[in-house]
Amino acid sequence: MRNLLNFLARYNNLIIFLFLEGIAFYLLTTGNNYHNSRLLNSVRGMTRGIEARIYNTTSYLSLHEINENLAAENVALKNSIGKLVRKENSLFLNVNDSVNKQQYLHTSAEVIENSINRQKNFFTINKGESQGIKVDMAVISASGVAGVIVGCSKNYSVAMSVLNLDFKLSARIKSNGYYGSLNWDGRDYRYAILSEIPQHVIVNVGDTIEATGYSAIFPEGVMVGTVRDYEKFGGDFYKISILLMTDFKKLHFVDVIGNMKKTEQLELEKLFK
Amino acid sequence: MINSILRFGLIFILLILLQVLLFNNIQFSGYVNPYVYILFILLLPIEIPAWLLLLLSFATGLIIDFFSGSPGMHTFATVFAGFVRPYVLRIISPSDGYESGPDPSMLVYGFRWFLSYTLLIVLVHHTTLFYLEVFRFTDFFRTLLRVLLSTLFSMTFILLIEFYRRGK
Repeated sequence: MRNLLNFLARYNNLIIFLFLEGIAFYLLTTGNNYHNSRLLNSVRGMTRGIEARIYNTTSYLSLHEINENLAAENVALKNSIGKLVRKENSLFLNVNDSVNKQQYLHTSAEVIENSINRQKNFFTINKGESQGIKVDMAVISASGVAGVIVGCSKNYSVAMSVLNLDFKLSARIKSNGYYGSLNWDGRDYRYAILSEIPQHVIVNVGDTIEATGYSAIFPEGVMVGTVRDYEKFGGDFYKISILLMTDFKKLHFVDVIGNMKKTEQLELEKLFK
Repeated sequence: MINSILRFGLIFILLILLQVLLFNNIQFSGYVNPYVYILFILLLPIEIPAWLLLLLSFATGLIIDFFSGSPGMHTFATVFAGFVRPYVLRIISPSDGYESGPDPSMLVYGFRWFLSYTLLIVLVHHTTLFYLEVFRFTDFFRTLLRVLLSTLFSMTFILLIEFYRRGK
């Protein structure tokens, strides 16, 4: 007993050190897990009020630019509605069943917390479960893909940004339809890497890259970016550097997209795996 | 005693606010993130008991983690920095030893001593932090580059703050 007490007295700092590092390591491994983002959510909950307040004051400074973007987006949307109406008229289709046709459900939200300077970046938006947001929904900005929802609380959600080493997206070259896997290499917030495009495919700088919709998360045809540069990687594939359309440094208004037919697609696919 | 608790409390709050509101938003091309809050651990009195130093490091890291949404990362790195601080102090102790009383500042022990003291601990802290962040050893040298560049920037800001304190 005496020896034990001596031992404790002699090494008490080491024991405290190991104990505290143990707690930190526990937080690190459980809290940063992609699939277990509940702790992340609760930890963020504590500072969210302050973040929302900081964000409120800073958002005024960029209102002008945001207005311009919204106006541009409105014009584009009006144009596409016009196209749709014409298409349906020409088919003499007059069924007013909006749910049947609608596959994707859009919810607009604002980004209240964002980072680009880490290797695993997340952002927080001001909509949550009570607004119908669920885990694994897609998040896009006005210009292109932004991320995937990984955790929801009642009124807020945390999304994994494209700028995260764990983020993966199936994307294709719009002009010829060849698809590959898109991920971020952790270097520059403006660029991502598209891999698995075979070398016989003709790639041009400036080609448009869009999402494929194979994952049932992102709708088909959502803009990702343009080809900035490419090089041969190994014997068979290209490594293509993509200029991302979304400027993550200015990420502000986003759309969350839920795929209403996702379960149906996944269940069917499961039968053949 | 009460006086110094108040003083360090104030330094603590100031540094955390600086880190959260200013330095967390500095992003040079994704490589450089200055982490200046570690200065709090550096400024604590030399004769502070090791257990208190560890607990204060833990609290500092935890608060920074809360604000940057990265549970455990800063806590681990800061506790580690707090753990090595006494050893660093022993290694670089001046020839006539430390005086009892004054805090480890540039004013008392000179620029060269302060530079090596901060550089060693900031380097330990940043190395732990950045390697924990990527949590893998692929791209080892790129992470090393991030560590070195960020250390450079953190050191610049820490020295600026310290010069400002000396000037007062």
